[in-house]
Amino acid sequence: MQRAGPMPQTLTVLGLESSCDDTAAAVVRQMPGAGAEILASVGHGQAELHGAYGGVVPEIAARAHAEKLDVCVIQALGDAGLDLGGIDAIAVTAGPGLIGGVISGVMCAKGLAAATGLPLIGVNHLAGHALTPRLTDGIAFPYLMLLVSGGHCQYLIADGTQDFTRLGGTIDDAPGEAFDKTARLLGLPQPGGPSVEAEARHGDPARFRFPRPLLDRPDCNLSFSGLKTALLRARDQLVAEQGGLTRADRADLCAGFQQAVVETLAAKTRRALTLYLQQDPPEPVLAVAGGVAANEAIRAGLESVCAEMGARFLAPPLSLCTDNAAMIAYAGLELFRDGVRHGMDLPARPRWPLDDSSPALMGGGRKGAKA
Amino acid sequence: MPSDTLVLGFDTSAAHCAAALLCGDRIVAIRAEEMSRGQAERLMPLLQEVLAAGGADWRDLAALGVGIGPGNFTGIRIAVSAARGLALGLGVPAIGVTGFEARAALAPAGHLPAIPAPREQVYVAPPGREPSLIARADAPSPLFDDAAPGDLACAIARIAATRRHSEAPPPAPLYLRPADAAPSRDVPPMLLDG
Repeated sequence: MQRAGPMPQTLTVLGLESSCDDTAAAVVRQMPGAGAEILASVGHGQAELHGAYGGVVPEIAARAHAEKLDVCVIQALGDAGLDLGGIDAIAVTAGPGLIGGVISGVMCAKGLAAATGLPLIGVNHLAGHALTPRLTDGIAFPYLMLLVSGGHCQYLIADGTQDFTRLGGTIDDAPGEAFDKTARLLGLPQPGGPSVEAEARHGDPARFRFPRPLLDRPDCNLSFSGLKTALLRARDQLVAEQGGLTRADRADLCAGFQQAVVETLAAKTRRALTLYLQQDPPEPVLAVAGGVAANEAIRAGLESVCAEMGARFLAPPLSLCTDNAAMIAYAGLELFRDGVRHGMDLPARPRWPLDDSSPALMGGGRKGAKA
Repeated sequence: MPSDTLVLGFDTSAAHCAAALLCGDRIVAIRAEEMSRGQAERLMPLLQEVLAAGGADWRDLAALGVGIGPGNFTGIRIAVSAARGLALGLGVPAIGVTGFEARAALAPAGHLPAIPAPREQVYVAPPGREPSLIARADAPSPLFDDAAPGDLACAIARIAATRRHSEAPPPAPLYLRPADAAPSRDVPPMLLDG
């Protein structure tokens, strides 16, 4: 990492993102003394490529990213009405994530940076999510962040652009994975988040009492893998008794599953907020990011915990909650102001915890949360 | 700045990083390093070294040639992604060159260019036939399967130079094998009132 010279007044950063199943590019600008502005943000999702497999297939994702990244960059520059001459730095997700996609993004960004002479900034995908509240609402440090998606679930206190403390997170699956699995087990469409939520709306959350894992432990860690197993057992028992499921069974299973996730996240959020409030932040904020934050029941659960504990609840718009390149461009912009620059030997990292000082939550398995 | 047309060719389709700079009809710099991992970190510095050795700068290039495989999936994506980023940034064409084309320029007479693959197999593209993956033992003629990485980079640069004025889509990896993926094994239960 090198240190930078004097800063230009207005900064315009191009960001690239390809760590999971969205190929994306965006341009973000910040004028002196003003909030950041998203000049363009484009993304090509891959849902239709992975649909038949019931989840993201890494090699299929990697193949799609490699041929779409430059196309996204061209489109983003066009939408912003700029050419590369109007860009001050190139930011790219350098991990954590599916390594095939991350490598393609990093190599495309290196090619752009080498060709133009622009500075290259490798961004941690999780930092992109964690800094989004500053992009959307100009929130000041320190704030509490809950990242909750298909690949991640963790509580972080954000103290600075490169200063995150992880309070806890999932020790196995992320909630988004559990929603996807639930959808597959019940024959609902992928992605599972919206389809399970829609089904749960007309189900009875009290009929099936699924486990609320790790609530007996005082920490902020979570576990969702046992919940999937419990749902599978309940389903199999009904099928054994009746030969199949009724629509009401399916809705009740979804409602019971979602309720378990809602209550688990609410309880652990209460603990995380308690720890965060001990720092006496002047304007306490809980911000969420990740696709699971789009779930209205989960959101309502978190909102009520925040109201109870006197913290502001902040959820960016869905397009900035799920994977996107605007958050990478913005994180790159903040890092650029910090003087961060990377060389052409920037590595792509499948695992890259935001908080290197906290003990790893996961084993070396290939599945599950990536940090 | 050299006055002849400059084309940079590179390849990371197997356990190597290789690049060559073509100036007019002369190769003026070559770098080739064997490596089983780390190509994503090494490729760009290696390209910069080749340019520097040829007394050139990125802005002097008229075209890029990139090896698109077949070969190691991650390896060909590393080179192709870099080539597409460079091409966009420089405003010059990036030309994809297959491993068969590059080896055909190097193979001795009567030998079939072949690209080593796992499990005693090779990728071949016999004249007039679709490229395919075959068992080494089933090869129809003697194989040329040990091209030196540096020679490959030179061949890629030369082939790209001949094609730099022709309209072609951006380079894309040549996989020849579908992605390993199995459909979901979860079978949903029957809906009784569906």
